[in-house]
Amino acid sequence: MNAPTGLGALVSLLIFPGGLFVLANGLVFEWIDRKLIARLQNRIGPRWYQPLADIIKLLAKEEVVPERADPRLFFALPIVALAGVLTAALYLPIAGRFVFSFPGDLIVTVYMLSLLTLCTGLAGANTRNRFALVGATRTLTQLFSYEVPFFLAMLGPAAVAGSWQIADIMAHNSQQWLLFIQPIGFVVALIGLMGKLEMRPFDAPEAETEIVAGALTEYSGRGLALFYLGRNVELIGGLTLVATFYLGGIHNVLDYFLKTGALLIVLASLQTLMTRLRIDQTVGLWWRVGALLALAQWLVLIVIGEVAL
Amino acid sequence: MTTGSVPKRFSIPIGPQHPALKEPGHFDFSVDGEVVTGATVRLGYAHRGIEKAAENQNWVQNLYLLERICGICSHIHATAYCLGVEKLADVEAPPRAQAIRVLIAELERVHSHLLWLGVTAHEAGFDTLFMYSWRDRETVMDILESLTGNRVNYSANMLGGVKFDVTDDNRKAIERGVNFLETRTRHYLNVVTTDQVFVQRTRGVGVITREQAEQLGVIGPTARASGVLRDVRVEAPYAAYRDIPVQPVIETAGDLEARFVVRLKELFESYRLIRVILEQMPPGDLNVRMPRRPKAGEAISRVEAPRGELFYFIKSNGADNPERVKVRTPTLCNMASVLVTAVGQQLADVPMILAGIDPCFSCNDRAVTISKAGDATSAVWSWQQLRQYSQAYYRRRL
Amino acid sequence: MTTEDRLRQAQEALSPWAQEADAPEPVRLDIVLDRSHLPSAVAALMNIRWGYLVAITGLDLGAEAKQYEVLYHFGSGAALLTLRVRIAHADSVVPSITGIIPAASVAERELSEMFGIRVIGLLDQSRLFLPDDWPDGVYPLRKDAVLEK
Repeated sequence: MNAPTGLGALVSLLIFPGGLFVLANGLVFEWIDRKLIARLQNRIGPRWYQPLADIIKLLAKEEVVPERADPRLFFALPIVALAGVLTAALYLPIAGRFVFSFPGDLIVTVYMLSLLTLCTGLAGANTRNRFALVGATRTLTQLFSYEVPFFLAMLGPAAVAGSWQIADIMAHNSQQWLLFIQPIGFVVALIGLMGKLEMRPFDAPEAETEIVAGALTEYSGRGLALFYLGRNVELIGGLTLVATFYLGGIHNVLDYFLKTGALLIVLASLQTLMTRLRIDQTVGLWWRVGALLALAQWLVLIVIGEVAL
Repeated sequence: MTTGSVPKRFSIPIGPQHPALKEPGHFDFSVDGEVVTGATVRLGYAHRGIEKAAENQNWVQNLYLLERICGICSHIHATAYCLGVEKLADVEAPPRAQAIRVLIAELERVHSHLLWLGVTAHEAGFDTLFMYSWRDRETVMDILESLTGNRVNYSANMLGGVKFDVTDDNRKAIERGVNFLETRTRHYLNVVTTDQVFVQRTRGVGVITREQAEQLGVIGPTARASGVLRDVRVEAPYAAYRDIPVQPVIETAGDLEARFVVRLKELFESYRLIRVILEQMPPGDLNVRMPRRPKAGEAISRVEAPRGELFYFIKSNGADNPERVKVRTPTLCNMASVLVTAVGQQLADVPMILAGIDPCFSCNDRAVTISKAGDATSAVWSWQQLRQYSQAYYRRRL
Repeated sequence: MTTEDRLRQAQEALSPWAQEADAPEPVRLDIVLDRSHLPSAVAALMNIRWGYLVAITGLDLGAEAKQYEVLYHFGSGAALLTLRVRIAHADSVVPSITGIIPAASVAERELSEMFGIRVIGLLDQSRLFLPDDWPDGVYPLRKDAVLEK
């Protein structure tokens, strides 16, 4: 896969499959997520343009910088967060097309996807609001709990393919669905994604009944809109990553929407079934169960590898 | 961070305006990391001066005033007041009226407990349960509306009886609704006791032991979840409860789960009572004549509100207005238990512990007749002025 | 234990301090006490584990009597015991019972801010119900309270 150049590169970066397409897709997926949860909870739910309307409204609003916050950091963090996840999307087969690819891009992508969480945590600590501080602590605590199992679950397919390049791993897996071969890894990856996206039951960092809006309590206007967009892109990126590794890869646009859409439906259903976990319970769950499961998957892979050899 | 401005005690304010509270109240929880180390409370944000206002209204007007103390348990306030005034006047409401009072009180309990179930589930972040229980609560709201014409503040009581009769159509609608709610309640009881994730948030959380419950003077379902039988309907039956005994529901664990179980099991008891009342509805008049002024004297009236014992002390000096109406609502008794049990718990559990006693701030905050109106001079307005202002305001709008 | 037994038990426990006793209703017992005996009377009740504090009611007996009356209601089953303490307007002080019943604190705070009755020994004297900008020295539930401007 050769990196595009010239006008083609610009289109790939800004319009399709990166940039605008990812953002629009993120808004649509956010709507599907919200609408599904609402319908499963016996509510009507938002109309299709609600996520876009939210963003437009937020962009038009005044952005208030809290008194003791560092204004440069306050403005920079949402931009860095969104830039990070948008960059990650370029290395993923969004709509079946890689924009860039190089050996080792898996590591870069996974860390770019974490950038949003990191920025959220920093943003909370920067604003020095009590709710934001507690939220930031929880965000970062949670980051350290789900990240290792999630990464281990991503490395399983990579180990089978013997490569750190997403395109190679996908090519290697496109014959068989790893979902059936490494089911534990798939479950850990999917639940890890819920942790990454702070979806229920892992929404303690933004538990509105305790700490209002968590780390983003002081954010309004453009900053908040950018964080929302970032979260949507992270949703897209995470779903694509899991589908690429465990659902036999993504080969065209239809394939893309079918597989990520199916995963989204699973995530939405899981969210409606769950009660929010306390942060200590989240950490306990990930280290006691999640990490062990991921390691067990590894053990199975190693044993099978030995036997096969 | 500058050292001077960093408070030694990191405190999380909850309220007066906070997503966890549906009504205004202010709690200050000092925390060490995620663990609560101290708690204080400040009430009065919904203080409307009702106790004082009651001294300036006549006996009948007060019925309407007191019914508006609380939007959820409005009927039980009016019932407590009526029973007290009837005691003062030596009048007893006819049996049919007593039965209808109890019928509406039990329907109100059903609506209040389902509301509580939803709110507390929401505090735990279980919005699905919240949405479903509130959908089902509409059934009982519809029943109440068809009976009395109102979804809240039913205004069913009058001094000396009730205003509404229960017709055959009502009876059928109530039976249908109760049957539906019974199956739903069974489902919810199953959910709150078996859903693994939810149980993690409730089992062993916010425990009030039996000794603590007795010492703190906890009442109502909160006490009954700690193994302390405090239910006025059982201990000192009033109105139609004298003829229809109530089976008390007791749990001993004292944690949040027990509070869920107690309230849900009480719903079954309420459904049973509603059916028995409909079956054994005594015939006869709906009300008797009341003297305009009760005799001088004092009366105490205790009833079981959905949240626990509601206490009215009414003193008459034989005049048009009561000399004193003292209202002690269940939340005041249970509030101390929140402050005690919250210490040592995780911050994440605090909203649930708070909601666990089913607090009702409007009930809690009553007295003082003055309101500061939001005009430029910010003068203190009198009751009369406020009334004139409101009448003028609505006349302008019309 | 029947309600009569409970009331008899309470009466016996309180007999050293009772100045008057009255039964306005079959389930009720009113006992008039001097305020100095209040803590010992409450402690005696708690020692025999007699019920729980239901409420504290303040009463202003008006300009002629120049007295307040503080009513401590205790409930045990259907039995309802009221300890009545009369104090003069000029000397409106009662001892706190929070040393014996800590949960009485809220009720005593309400009493002191609504009637201006000083509760000696109550640790937390801050306002519970009235607004922060409420004028000092105005006690709304007093009969002579001037609330209108």
